Formats: sequence, structure tokens, C-alpha cells
Amino acid sequence: MTQPIWGPVQQEMSELLQRHPDDVPGVVDLLAQIQVVLCRVPPLLDSNPLADFNKLYLTITENVLERLYAGKFKDPAFLARLDVEFAARYFDALRYWTEGSPACPGVWAGLFCRIPGPDARALPSAVAGVNAHINFDLPFALVTTFDHLGSDPVDGSDQHHDYLQVNDIFAEEIPGLRRGYLDRWQLLIDTMNGDLDDWWQGEMVEYTRNVAWRNAQKIWAIRHDLGALDKERRRLDNTATGLGKLLLSPFGGFLQ
Amino acid sequence: MARQGDDGPLVGRTGTLTDIQSNLRNVGTGGTAAVFVTGESGVGKSRLLRETADALRGSGFSVLFGTCLDIGDASPLHPVLQALRRHDGAGSTSAADDAGALLERVSRDLRTIAGDQQLLLVLDDLQWADRSTRQLLLYLLAGLGDVRVSVLAAIRAEALHGTHPLRRVLAELRRLRTVRVVDLAPLSQDQTRELVTAIVGGTVALEDADRVFKRSGGNPFVVEELSRDLRDGRVELSDTLREIFLSRVDELPPNAHTVVHAIAAGVEPIDHAVLAGVVPLPEDQLIEAVRAAVTHRFVASDRDGYKLRHRLVAEVLEQEVLPAEAASLHRRYAETLESLDGEPDNARLAFHWQRAGEPDRALPPVVSAARAAERLYGFAEAHRYWTIALQLSTESDHRRTELLGHAAESAHQCGEHLLALARLEELAGRPDAPGQSELHLRRARYLAAAGRSATAEVEYQRALEAPDCTPRRRASAAAYLAELLLHLGRYADANQHAREALELAAVNGATTDLVRASAALGFSAAFREDPDAGLAVIRHAVEIAERSGHPDDLGVAYLHLAELLAGPLNSIEEGVLVARRGADLLAARGVGRTYQTRLLAIAAKGLFRNGQWSEAYAVLETAMRNHPSGADAVELLLARSQLWVGFGEVDNARRDLDAVATLLAGGGARHVLPMLTLRAGLAMWQGEHAEARTAVQRGLTETRSDDLVLLGVLAWHGLRAEAEAYVAGQPNDHGAIRRLRTVMDRLVKGVGDAPPAVRAVVDGYLDLCTAELSRIEDRPDPEPWARAAATWDRRQQPYPAAYSRLRHAEASLQRRIRRPAAITGLRQAYAAATAMGARPFANEIVGVAQRFKVTLGEDVQVLAPAGPERAADELSALTGREREVLAAVAEGLTNREIGELLFISERTVGVHLGHIFDKLQVRTRVQASRVYLTAA
Repeated sequence: MTQPIWGPVQQEMSELLQRHPDDVPGVVDLLAQIQVVLCRVPPLLDSNPLADFNKLYLTITENVLERLYAGKFKDPAFLARLDVEFAARYFDALRYWTEGSPACPGVWAGLFCRIPGPDARALPSAVAGVNAHINFDLPFALVTTFDHLGSDPVDGSDQHHDYLQVNDIFAEEIPGLRRGYLDRWQLLIDTMNGDLDDWWQGEMVEYTRNVAWRNAQKIWAIRHDLGALDKERRRLDNTATGLGKLLLSPFGGFLQ
Repeated sequence: MARQGDDGPLVGRTGTLTDIQSNLRNVGTGGTAAVFVTGESGVGKSRLLRETADALRGSGFSVLFGTCLDIGDASPLHPVLQALRRHDGAGSTSAADDAGALLERVSRDLRTIAGDQQLLLVLDDLQWADRSTRQLLLYLLAGLGDVRVSVLAAIRAEALHGTHPLRRVLAELRRLRTVRVVDLAPLSQDQTRELVTAIVGGTVALEDADRVFKRSGGNPFVVEELSRDLRDGRVELSDTLREIFLSRVDELPPNAHTVVHAIAAGVEPIDHAVLAGVVPLPEDQLIEAVRAAVTHRFVASDRDGYKLRHRLVAEVLEQEVLPAEAASLHRRYAETLESLDGEPDNARLAFHWQRAGEPDRALPPVVSAARAAERLYGFAEAHRYWTIALQLSTESDHRRTELLGHAAESAHQCGEHLLALARLEELAGRPDAPGQSELHLRRARYLAAAGRSATAEVEYQRALEAPDCTPRRRASAAAYLAELLLHLGRYADANQHAREALELAAVNGATTDLVRASAALGFSAAFREDPDAGLAVIRHAVEIAERSGHPDDLGVAYLHLAELLAGPLNSIEEGVLVARRGADLLAARGVGRTYQTRLLAIAAKGLFRNGQWSEAYAVLETAMRNHPSGADAVELLLARSQLWVGFGEVDNARRDLDAVATLLAGGGARHVLPMLTLRAGLAMWQGEHAEARTAVQRGLTETRSDDLVLLGVLAWHGLRAEAEAYVAGQPNDHGAIRRLRTVMDRLVKGVGDAPPAVRAVVDGYLDLCTAELSRIEDRPDPEPWARAAATWDRRQQPYPAAYSRLRHAEASLQRRIRRPAAITGLRQAYAAATAMGARPFANEIVGVAQRFKVTLGEDVQVLAPAGPERAADELSALTGREREVLAAVAEGLTNREIGELLFISERTVGVHLGHIFDKLQVRTRVQASRVYLTAA
């Protein structure tokens, strides 16, 4: 690589990514430190699209951790493992990108390559990250977690119940995040159709998260067949990449 | 997988090579270490494995090399058994009593090979390893096989992207000090230049080298191939590996061309005799053709047979063989393999017949392979074969019904619950399906195993109501149902069904059902506060099992009785006795190793709670000699770590906890919490309160809400860590304290619905939690501590009782109230601590006593920390406790007097004496005293 991908923070980013957090507090901690580093990536600094996503992801994971501590999940062991495994895939993607490795999934590469610009709106940027993470990473993280815990992804199980609870967290956090970005003009629009927009956002996450659960069930059945698994992986990557492009295109700006 | 002989120079890996070697040498106290090398194909993993093995061979290491097969359905433990066979011509494939015995047998062979050296087990392409092999690896790394082993394994990074089970295994193992995961990166631009120059020789134009870098992405395998093109003067560099090799294929002589294609269709490594059968050439021409293929860098040959030089080459060639050509090659492979003498290679045969388009001929070897896997307890592999068998048979095939039955059961055995249920549905739809009651019963068992209790209950009911249900099956279904209801906490319903099952089974049932029903009845009665009735039923079951004499019946019956006594009834001492009697009985008959292990685990835990720690230790040692594996091994290691923590033996505790973590990397969420609790306990004794806090907080995120007891212990550890930190003047984490308070609230709410036995224990921990809070809030209050001490006295658990006494005394002394009572309590606590051998705890008591100028008794000394500084005389084999007993014997005291002196039972003194006699190899008290007096 002639040009370090992360510019002046290359070294710090590489060092952070040497870590492989193995519990939820560790994930929160690493996300927080990555946020600090991301906000120093020129030229967009704290308005780069990945920083927007990372911030949302950090908030959501903090919320998950609080609920874990408070005993709000039926099977915290499952959710904690899932959270760690889920995050590991985001960190893996960052690591591949940092190393310039072709193994970086297309859907993530699509977001990462927008870090230097052009600037995109904060909300679609964050949602583009959510798209990559949920539509692509989540089904695999689910399968790995179930495999490790020795149980299956069954509808209506304790684990499914806990999984759905995370939808509530997204629904809580996304409108909050949204208001955080508003200027006066947008505030006006928001007052006019705010509820509708919030509903739309919440709906999208819920919808894709259900798709992820279904995809996980599909992958579960073929998980011992490495060839079929690879094919499914590419299919999911392509679908998610397409959606991600749309979100980061000028069209995505209409969301915000 | 590049082979020896014609490798390019090793560039850019010197540091990695040194690191790997030092990591492999750096075995922890457990005597094991592991390095996993990950990286994309062609990045040089196999090369690194080979170089490391060569460097370590003969320098204190004995090396064993195994490769996993890529046909995805190899036989259980394939790479290790293959390595063993290669080493001395005989692998341990003969049948073993159980999966644990098989692991032990393999370990024994590995031990023999290692001799007095460290064994270096090198495994290439670990991503293709079967589940049994992964489990064997964890078993060895946890030190359970008693093999001093360093594992060096390569994993293709591509395989880890998806959902590969190794992903989680590596994530868990990364935490351990003795495990390293090395991610092998491609070469940098400078390193690529160096490699290009070395291969081309002389000077290379910078732009040529950079072009190679750009096209290869720094992948050493591709760099080498491109450099050779450059050296050989090919004008335009190929853009892809594919082009490189396709142009070389064209240059091959026709016979060599045939050989390369034949090898590409086979399962590597390919024996010369097999190749000769597949490629119909006269011997001399065949050899010439192979030689040409080797010269053109397609094929590598070693003593196992022929392989393509690299996986990447195989991928290029796969696309070049026409389907019809491939089918014909596979047919010739299958025919050749069938014509060979000796045991048929079912895995390969099945593979080739399937691809030859001959499902009918593939089926018999597939079924044989499934049965062979079952004999090796490789249920996951067996399940894979049964699944293939299903794919090979059509709807109209009369064998399909039987195959479906096997496929469903094997899926159930290896934990594929959804698949098991799906297969069962298909089975139910067959015209010659088994009867309704059998189907319902099986479906219920699968559902129960999948944790879907409500639907399982319905299915059991249907089985009971089915018109074709025989009395025997009714007994079975009712017994299973009772067991399920017991787990759901519906004791009245469980009781009713258990009674029904018992009546049916008594007339017309199997002993197994009788025992299962009795256990359900006994436990449900005990939980409904009629313990005597419950006990009577289970005791009766034990008698029946003793008459039947079947190891499973005996083991299960004794387990239930011991669990009931030591658990819900809190008759720990009797529970321990029963558990030991059961284990002795089975041991005397030489059967039921797994049950012996579990019974001994119950005994050891009971002894620990009773404060008879040295005896608990002795029991655990006996149990470990059974070479347990899996969850049983985890239980024992956790019990032993608990002792080490209590004794203050830090290194041993760490070693066992690391072993637990290693085994848990293969799965086992319910043991994570006890492990974290022990880590916290250990950290506290070392004054590492922040570390203790981290362990507890992580534990809070990994509980299951119904684990009230585990949660209670964890919460107490968390609050105690905060209290200790506060006292030591270290900062508190108020968020953590707040969360622990929330947990206490949850516990209070939860115990309302819990059975009385659980409630009693949780209340004990809640008392401790409340009391610790008073310390954190700096309002020394003896009251809550007095309550806690009383609770634990009632439960006859001296350790938490003594701990409460210490804090009670400390608070009283701080507040300057009731000093005499405080002194008495402190002395009692000290006596209990020394009797157990709880060194760090005793030292803490001494510290408090010194702070408040309290004399604990005559000539009290701080107990010396355990470990190497013990005298290396004849007595060095004895535990501290045994030395105390021996000293008293030498003074001429009787067992009763010694018991009174040391606060232990007379019988325990007897057991200690037995151990002392064994260790000193004497037969009488007089002889023992003489040894003691000579040494002292």
C-alpha cells in the first residue's frame, strides 16, 4: 500500500483492531475508542459516514449492555454471545479494509470507501452501516452463536424473543439519533411528518432484522456445506451492497 | 500445501517463524501450547508449518504431522489417526467403551510417541477437520490426555468468513496465555521485490517486480509462479493464476496431462497403486508421466502418495475437466479402490461412486461409513453419512424408511434438533412408517431435547393416548413426561405421571423406565416437602438397579439418590457417602466409567461444602484418573479449581481454569458462570479487585435468568470484591454496585417461586450480599453478618459460616461492641479455616486479629503459602492436612482425639491415615510415626 488507508490515524486504527473483544463490555469499549479515532479521519472528520454509523452502533450496544445487566433478556448468555460475534464481523471488516485485503465484504467496502467523501447525510450513512451489519453480518453471527451454544434458531424460542427485543432498541435509538442531527429547517419538516418518518425508519430495521432471522434459518440448514454457504454469502453480500449504494446515493438524502 | 524440494526462499517470515517457535516452546503450567496460523490460500501457511516442524524436530520435540481431508465427510478423528498410522503403522481405531475411552486411547498412543519429549502435533487444513478432531484438540490442550503437546495448525482464512465452528473456537481460545492466533498477511511491496529477485536471480527491473506485486497482491505462491514466468522469459505476465497454469497444462506431454487430471479428480493423497488402476498405462510410462507432471510443477510426491502441488492449482484444474470425463475417472477410482485388498476405504468409495453417478453402488459404503463413525462415537460424522445415504436413495426405495429412522436418530444424537424433527416428519409420511405411539414418543424426545417443552409435553400425551401404545411404551412415555415436568418445576403433575409410569413399569417395563420414573417421583415428592417419601422411592430404585446389575441403571439410580441428598435435602454427608458407594460399586465391576466420574464429582462438591477439603481433593484425584472428557471433565476441573482457590494455590487454580476455558471453547454456556465466579474469587485473594470486578460484570451478561443459585454466588463475589476494594482504599465502581443491587432485587423476586431447597441457598447468599453492602457503605454492622453466619451454620457449610464470623468479629471490633464475643467468633473462624486448609482465608483472619490485637490461640502462625517451598523430604508427598494428622498420630492421639483436635470426623481421620499410609508405604501407626519423627 503506498497510501495508508486511514491517513494520519492508520497506526492507531491498526492497533485498536489488534484487539478481539470477547465480552459485551469489551465491545462497547472498543466501539467507543474507534469512534474517537474515526472522528479524526480527514477530511470529513466527525461527519464521515462511518463515524455516523459507528456512533449509532455504539449507542445501541450500550443499550444492549444495560439491558443485559438489568436482566431484561430471557437468555442473556445467548444475547451476549450474539452481540460479541456480531461485532466481531464489523471489526473483521474494518481489519480487512485496513490491511487492504480483498476479503473485505463488498457491502462494507462500499461504506468504507466513502469515508474520504463525498459527504453524505448522517442518517442515510448510519443506515447504510446498519444495512451492512444487519443484512449481511447478522445472519452469519446468529448461525455461529447458535452453533456454539448447541441450540437451533427456532421461532418463538427464548432466543427469538430476545432477538426481537433488540428491534425495540433500534426503534428507540434511531428517532433519537435523528433528532440529534436536525437543523431548524429540518425540524420544521420533522414536526410536519416526524411520526411518519420515525415509523419508516423503525419499520426498515425491523423488516431487515426479520429477514436476517429468516436468512439465518436458511444458512443454518446448509452450514456444513462450505460450497453452498459460500454461494449464499456472496448472494447476501451482493443484495446488501446494492441497497447500501442506494442509501449513500443522493436519493438516500431524502431520508433525512 | 506447497511441497518440499523446489520451494523458493522464505521471505518476510523470519520474525513470525521465531515467534511461532517460542510460542510452541512456551508451555504453561499445564504443559500445553498452541499456535493457529490463519491466512488466505497461497499465503504460505503450510510452508510455515513445515519450516517450524523442521526447526523443532530433534530439539526437545517429537513431531507428528496430520492433514485433514477436503471431502467434508472423512471419518472421525481422521487427521490424528492418520498421523498415528503413518508413524507406527497402527492407529487406535479399535472399539472403545465410550467416547472418553477413545480419547484416552488416542492420548496414550500420542504419549508413547512423545516419550520424554514435548509432542509437536502439526495439523494442516484444520478447517476441514471433523467435530471429533476439534474436540480431541481441546481435550489435549486442556491437559486431559496427560500429553505434553504443542499444537500447530493451519486454517484457511476463507473458511472462517462464514459460520465455520472454528471461528468461535478461536475466539474463545485467544484469551488463553498459551494460545496464539497468527494471522499471516500477504507480502509487502519490498518483500515481494526480494522474493522476485531471489527467484529470477541477478537483477530484476523494479517495474517488473512491482508488476508482480500488483498482480499477485503479495500472495507468495502467486509471486513465485509469476517470477518463474519472468525468469523463463515469458514476455507478458499472466494476469491470473488460472492463465499461468492453463498455459502450462498445454505444455504437458499427453500422458502427464492424463495423470494431472486423474489426480485432480481424486482425494489426496493418492496411492501409486490406485493411480495405476485409474490411469491405464504400462508401469514405466506411468512413472515417466508422473515425473513430467512433477517437473512441470503440477504434482508433488511424498511417501503418502501424490497430491497436486497446491490447492489453488486444484481449483484451476477442477474447471478444466469435462463432466463426462470426471464421471469416468470417478468410476475408475471406485473400481480400483474396490479391487484393493484390506479394509475398504468407505469414505473414498462413497465419494467416488456418488460422483460416478452410481447412487446404488455408493449406498453400501455410505451406510458402512455411517456405522463405522457411530462405533467411534462420531455422531456428527455418522449423521453426515446418513444424510448422504438419504440423498442417494429415492422415494420408492424400500430402504428409505430404515435410513430415515437412522438419520433422525443420529441428528438427535449430535444435537441437530430441527433436522431430527424434519427427518421424523418424512418418516411419518412413509407407507411403512412405524406406529403412531412410537412416532409421538420420538417426536416428543426430540422436541424436549430442543428445549421446546410445551410441544414436547403434548406429544408425550399423544403417545400415551395412541391406540397402538403398548404398556411398555406407555411406561416409557409416562416416565419421560414426568422427567420433563420435573424440569419445568410442575411437581404435582410430575408426581402424578411418575406414579402412573411406576405402576406400568413395575408390571411390564424396562428397568430403565422404572429408574427414570422413580427418580422423577422421588424428586417431585421431595420438592413438595415430603422428603422422606421421595427418598424412599429413590432408595427403592437403587435396590432394583442393584438387582438388575446393568451399569446404566446402577449409575443413574445412584446419581439420582446422591443428587437428591446432597442437593435439595442438604444431607450433604449422606449424599457424599451414597455417591462414593455407587462409584466404588461400579469401579469394582469395572463398568460405567462416566457414572463413576459423575458420582465422584458429586462427592467432591459435597466434601468441599462440608469443609473436608483434603478429602475432596483425594476424591477428585481418583475421578481424574478416569480420564473424563467433555462436560464431565469441566465439572471436575471446576470443582478442583474451587479447592485450589480455597487453598490459595494460585498457579494450580489458574491452570485448571485455563483448562476449563479451553474445553468451553467447544461449547458449554452453562459452565461459564462458575468459571467466572472462580476467577473472581482467585483475583480477590491476590488483591486484584478490578480483575475480580471484570469477571463478575462479564458474568452478569452471561447468566440465564433461572440460574438463581449461580447468580447468588456471583452477586456475592461482586459485592465482596467492591467491599475489599473499598477497604484496601481502591476506587469503587458505582455502576457495578448499582447493577449488583439490581441483581439482588431480581434474586429476591425470583426465590418467591423457587423450590424450598433453592430458596434456602439463595437466601444464604442474599444475606452475604446485604452484609457486604454494609461494608461498602462504611457502616460496620455485626448484625447482618450474624444472620449470615447462622444461615450457613444451619446449612452446615463451614466456609461461608466462618467467613461471616470473621466479618462479624471485624465489625464488632471496629464498633468496639461485645469484644469477648467477637474474639470467640474470630477464634472459631480461624479454627475452621485451618481445619479446611484455607490458607489465604486464615491469613486474612490473622491480619484482622493483629489489627485489633486479638490473640487467636497459642503459637498461632501465619500459614505458609502452599507450593514448592514445602520440605522436600519423605513427607513432601503429604498434603498439609495429612501432615497435621500425622503429627497428631506421632503424639500418640487416637483417631477420635485427632478428630476433635482438627474439627473433623473420626472417619475422615481414618481416610487421611489411609492416604498417609499409602503415600509413606507403611502399614502401621508406629511405622508412620517413625517416618515423621525421623523427617521432622
